[in-house]
Amino acid sequence: MLVESIISNGLAVGAVYALIGIAYNVMFSASRVFSFTAGSVGMLGGVFGAILISRMGMPVVVGFLLTLLLGAILGIITEIVAVRPVLKSLDQHLYVLSTLAIALMIQQLTAIYFSTDAVPFPRVIPIEPGIFDQKFWLPILACILTVLGLEYLSRHTLIGRAFLAIAEDNYAARALGLPEAGLRMASYALAGMISVLAGFAAGQLLFASLANGPLLNFYGFVPVALGGMGSNRGAVIGGLALGLFQQTANYFFGGIFSSVAVFIVFIVVLLVRPEGLAGAATARRV
Amino acid sequence: MKFDCRKVTRRGLLKGSAATAAASLAPGVYMPAIANTDPIQIGYLPAFTGPSSSTGIGIGRGTELAVQEINAAGGIKGRKLEMVMRDTQSDPTKAVNAAAELTRRHKVTIMWGPLNSGETAAAIQNIARDGVPHIHPCWVDSLIDVKKYPMAFRNGPSNQQVGAAANHYVVNVSKAKKVAIVSDTTGYGTASLDAYTPALKKIGGDVVYSASVDANNPDLKPELLRMRSAGAEAIMPWSVNAGFLARIINTRAELNWDVPIVGQTTLGSGQTKALLAKPEHWEKVYPNNFRNLSYNAQGQLPPQSAEFVERLRKAKVDFADTLLWWVALGYDGPRLIAEALREAGTAPADITAYWNTKVKGWKGVYGTIVWSPDNHDGFQQEEIIMVQANSLKDGAFKLAPGYA
Amino acid sequence: MTAESAPTVGGAATSSTWLPGWFEAWFPVILLAVVGGSLPLWGDSFFGIIATRVCVYWVLVSGLNLVVGFAGQLAIGWVSLLTIGAYVASALAAGRVTPEIPAYVALVIAAMFGAVFGFIAGLPALRLRTFYFAMTTLGLSTIVTQIALAWRSVTGGGVGIPGPSMPAPFDTPWGFYYFTLILALICTWMTCNIAASRFGRSLVAVRDAEVAAEAVGIYKPGLLMTVFLFSGALAGLAGGLFATLQSYITPDAFTFDLSVLFFIAILIGGRGSILGPLLGTAVLTVLPEFAAPLVQWSTFLYAFLLLVIVLLVPGGIADLLDFRNRKPLDQHREIRPRPELLTKVLEDRKRQSVLELKGIVLAFGGVRAVDGVDLQLTTGEVHGLIGPNGSGKTTMLNVISGYYAPQQGSVKQDGTDFTREGSYTRARHKIARTFQTPRIIGESSVIDNVMIGGTLDGHASFVEAMLLLPRQRRDEKHLREKAMAALTLVGLERIAGVRADRLQHSELRFVEIARALMVEPSFLLLDEPAAGLSVDEIERLGELIKAISRRGTGVLLVEHHADLIFDICDRVTVLNLGKVLASGSPDYIRSHREVINAYLGA
Repeated sequence: MLVESIISNGLAVGAVYALIGIAYNVMFSASRVFSFTAGSVGMLGGVFGAILISRMGMPVVVGFLLTLLLGAILGIITEIVAVRPVLKSLDQHLYVLSTLAIALMIQQLTAIYFSTDAVPFPRVIPIEPGIFDQKFWLPILACILTVLGLEYLSRHTLIGRAFLAIAEDNYAARALGLPEAGLRMASYALAGMISVLAGFAAGQLLFASLANGPLLNFYGFVPVALGGMGSNRGAVIGGLALGLFQQTANYFFGGIFSSVAVFIVFIVVLLVRPEGLAGAATARRV
Repeated sequence: MKFDCRKVTRRGLLKGSAATAAASLAPGVYMPAIANTDPIQIGYLPAFTGPSSSTGIGIGRGTELAVQEINAAGGIKGRKLEMVMRDTQSDPTKAVNAAAELTRRHKVTIMWGPLNSGETAAAIQNIARDGVPHIHPCWVDSLIDVKKYPMAFRNGPSNQQVGAAANHYVVNVSKAKKVAIVSDTTGYGTASLDAYTPALKKIGGDVVYSASVDANNPDLKPELLRMRSAGAEAIMPWSVNAGFLARIINTRAELNWDVPIVGQTTLGSGQTKALLAKPEHWEKVYPNNFRNLSYNAQGQLPPQSAEFVERLRKAKVDFADTLLWWVALGYDGPRLIAEALREAGTAPADITAYWNTKVKGWKGVYGTIVWSPDNHDGFQQEEIIMVQANSLKDGAFKLAPGYA
Repeated sequence: MTAESAPTVGGAATSSTWLPGWFEAWFPVILLAVVGGSLPLWGDSFFGIIATRVCVYWVLVSGLNLVVGFAGQLAIGWVSLLTIGAYVASALAAGRVTPEIPAYVALVIAAMFGAVFGFIAGLPALRLRTFYFAMTTLGLSTIVTQIALAWRSVTGGGVGIPGPSMPAPFDTPWGFYYFTLILALICTWMTCNIAASRFGRSLVAVRDAEVAAEAVGIYKPGLLMTVFLFSGALAGLAGGLFATLQSYITPDAFTFDLSVLFFIAILIGGRGSILGPLLGTAVLTVLPEFAAPLVQWSTFLYAFLLLVIVLLVPGGIADLLDFRNRKPLDQHREIRPRPELLTKVLEDRKRQSVLELKGIVLAFGGVRAVDGVDLQLTTGEVHGLIGPNGSGKTTMLNVISGYYAPQQGSVKQDGTDFTREGSYTRARHKIARTFQTPRIIGESSVIDNVMIGGTLDGHASFVEAMLLLPRQRRDEKHLREKAMAALTLVGLERIAGVRADRLQHSELRFVEIARALMVEPSFLLLDEPAAGLSVDEIERLGELIKAISRRGTGVLLVEHHADLIFDICDRVTVLNLGKVLASGSPDYIRSHREVINAYLGA
């Protein structure tokens, strides 16, 4: 029972981290920058679900689709407001500040107009709760579908290949005549959808809660940093490992130990290999 | 937020004082000294936003009603009570600033609040230093200390009293021998855990599990499994976090375990209820509450409280979505303040002297207050009782089984 | 930029106002002293509390400003150090770990703890950039709060502990206000001093022109860690003061909003300024108190301000206050170097010295950018390095200046091998360089850019600079005079006080040469210095280079302008596809058949 509980929780939470990590990656691939909004938009996935389905009484499917749409819109807004204007001066790293500003605004608006407390999330599938409940397998399923979907997109569609080209080499892609700005916006929309999907799928596990924003922001970034930026495989493996580790440590040593341990591992790995465990070495500077 | 912040703005205050100043300067107007009609300013520090706001909003409704009633009845010898309100946003830093603004700039006569322990802990020393009589309802024991804060009085129970009531219920009424105590990691949670564990042992309880758990942990199954394997016959959770409490209740149901859950009053809040997987999980959950505000076996409130509820209804104060005792507590505060002002005047020393010597069995809606020079903890132990969570109706509950 | 570029020993060239230099340099200190000192005359005691808070926050922000505003490190979680300082001071003063300790001592120990944790928090900055570093500081701030919650025997957990109480005369609200004001003044004064010293300039250089900073000998890790120690100490001290002001602390008091306030105050104030962040801190602390209905929107407003600043006014308040750089510059500026003034900048080098590169091989991926090149430079000679694009010229320069470690081969100066030493060591070996694209700190004045070159000349330590001790004053005076001389030499003395990003491209090339001359190089590496210059300017440049070499400096000139090369070079080496095609006197090269075919054309 105990092992079962650690595994089911660890995998579920880990899948949420992995999804946020993938969202980071999708944005990074298209723009070479990370955005602080990944976690806050993820948090909104739960909040939108609770508002649309529980408060406004929409059917689950409608609520879900609307949540995805809102996630995409937020992604596009982030791209237009906080990323595009500062890309031309990439070396000044203004994107860190502009995306932080957007993330803070999202958090604050949620605090004012939604709630600062955890709010219940509706049941997505109307079946009786069981031992391996939907609150555990929904995030895992969402993660699997996202990975498969991205894989399909990049292998079998033209737009996916264009994404890859841009991720590979921005300038060359532009030279090839690819609509680089349009694709970047599309990938931010996609990242927004992946983020809200994470929050929506984890709604029953983590509730719709403001506190999830910073939490997802940090723990979603850990697998990206460890697995190497841009690597979805790294994000999934890292996310699941992180989730399992946290739940195990939670049980045997308590929550504070696990946070401190995760933080120390994060710092040490980055100091030893700044490019991540699976990443490539940095480019030339002069 | 029912209490309208806009009623108390600086501009309003300035206008008011300018008008009175002009009146007193007007030539030929006879102004007898006793007919001072300036409003009496009361500093008021609720948290209407932020994580502790649900309490603040409930208390705020009671306070607003009490002030309206007092002023409608002519105020204090012709002077109106004016609440100078600052929202502390559940942030201790803001509470310190706000308390300083009220005591130093507005020179308020009496302070009511902050209404949460964290903010009161931060503000109480400054209020004491500024020599302003002070009433707060916060439970943390150390927030009443006649030496350190000689002008601070509590119109609610202390944590010790709250825990004693729950401990008494677990050991003597539900006859559980082995008890699990769990709290979240907040100040309130850990302080309660530290205080109640030895107290429970003292009255013969066997504490088989005792831990502070991170309230954000999505899964409490391991914790409850440990409690069960330790043989716990009752769970006592101490937390004001509805999500955390709901997880404990839900997990108990998942494990098909039917030990009673006895503890913090939030176990019975509407928010906790909303977070339950099924409504029936709320059975055998016994939160703290107060005798004056609980239904008897026939589903009736004591007469004084029934009349209070009528008054709330008439004034269109909403209380179904909050807890009745919050509203009642908010209602009692300004009335205690008004009585002292009426009987002892506005001098700080006179006010505290009045509270020290004349408040002996003051009948509030929330509870009976007895203060003395060396005890500013006014609440009566026997008025703190446990109730049945699933009997929640209009913000109040039925007494738990075992009470007369 | 006011404080940083202000101390003007150089006279009229840098200061265009009638105000004395010291006034401008310490304007933030004077402003704070006047406004803060007179506060009790015009403010009530509630205002006193808010002003105390401004002072406490400013103690932290003034230190953080060096990290964020000057060094450009995005430390967004600095509230963690405030928390540590607050708990250390409170736990010690309350006697929770030791016997009760007097408040003053507790504050000092809090500052020491702050320094240690500032150092630890800063460590990741040595290897991690921007977003990563921001994330680590963010992670640290959550961890610290969690530890404060868990470590109940010391921190009181969520219940909290009382803060230290100050002894008389600082035990009253006004008394404590003066105490924090004095500390805030000292911090302002110290950071003004640091900003105006070589340390301050080096921080900005690391931020905006890291590669150039290394080339003049700035050792980034040492510099950053010093500043993190300093900033941590101030944050720890601020934590102790915060605990006293609050009178009682719980982990709730250390919200992330506070971190955001500190960080944004700096950016709103403007990077590289002290006055700006001071005003920013005051405005952000005071504003919510005077807009009570807006109070719950305060963090939203901060975030909005941040976005506006980033997108519209990247220079912040400081930029708006920078009136000097609004004045239009003379449009028809001509650069007229005065090689005859070289005696004032370069010692006449008697001893001959040889820089020898042997068998250098460097491959990127599978491509051999340099493939077994030998090169020998001698002091007093101009050595031209030419070749088609991609032939490996700049790569050779980068090997000499240590940005690349070659896979094979050696770089030796008079027998001393420093092939594998980092680029920051080259200035110590008296090797200086310029860059193909000028690496200039756009936000700093021209003279500050040049003074960067003299970083290694400074003898005063960080502490001496901070306290403006005599050695620091001598350093500054000497550096400024030397930089002015170098600017006069290259003909830019009239725009010494102008922001470098207002200069024309050709002027930047001469600024770089002036900066490199500050190193007093035995060997000067010039990477296409004539690119973008007019014909007249190229001619004058040639004279200057020649004059430099005649003072005993060996010059390596990478250039495309064949005329310039053949006019002034004593020797020429031609590279093609990473190999030496030919090497010899200009006349020999000019007649070399393969060179003509491969590069010079008909």
